[in-house]
Amino acid sequence: MFKIFTVMIFVSSLWAYQPGDVVSPEVGQKLGLQSDKTYVIDFFASWCISCKHELPLIEKLSRTLRMKNIEVVGVDVDENLNQAKAFQQELGLTFSVVNDPKGEVIKHFDPVGMPAVYIVKNAKVTHMILGAKDHIDRLILAALKEEK
Amino acid sequence: MHYFMIAAILFLGGCSHIGNVKPWEKGTLAKESMQNNRGNRLLTKFEKHVYFSKEASKGGGGVAGGGCGCN
Repeated sequence: MFKIFTVMIFVSSLWAYQPGDVVSPEVGQKLGLQSDKTYVIDFFASWCISCKHELPLIEKLSRTLRMKNIEVVGVDVDENLNQAKAFQQELGLTFSVVNDPKGEVIKHFDPVGMPAVYIVKNAKVTHMILGAKDHIDRLILAALKEEK
Repeated sequence: MHYFMIAAILFLGGCSHIGNVKPWEKGTLAKESMQNNRGNRLLTKFEKHVYFSKEASKGGGGVAGGGCGCN
């Protein structure tokens, strides 16, 4: 039984995007990604307390990154679309947000925790930062610096 | 008895399609009404105090990060 469980976990992790994986054109299209650009993709939800703490930092960071031609794309996974839009409005997010109420985008990334930040460069996943982190903006900047 | 066993197995087999709840599917679990004592902090604090007094241990009674799967 334990072996089956282990195999199931291993197989499920094969489907999730890991650093080095190429984002499929279908997912790229849903997120509005261009193949020659760097993106910071942030998965969040209104019920996720840690996401609420991190989003103002990411919002601030997105304005700085825009000048460096790096785009932040948010993915709101709230099942209730009205709730999602109200949440985004409340935080005053200026970066582009894709609503994913049915989990059609996030299922490809399959993060083990929320919030989840992925850095995608030239359609390839280069970094992932999972779970609640202090100073997420600094972590993202450090990850972006590693790519240079 | 055999029919009962077969029926029970078939009935329980219906549960097999229920998968794990993914981190992004925990919106309902994060609701206050899903917390112990329906979010009544005073009652929770009291019960924790009683538990600590009786068992000389504490913790392990909550979902970290509001049930969102955060660290």
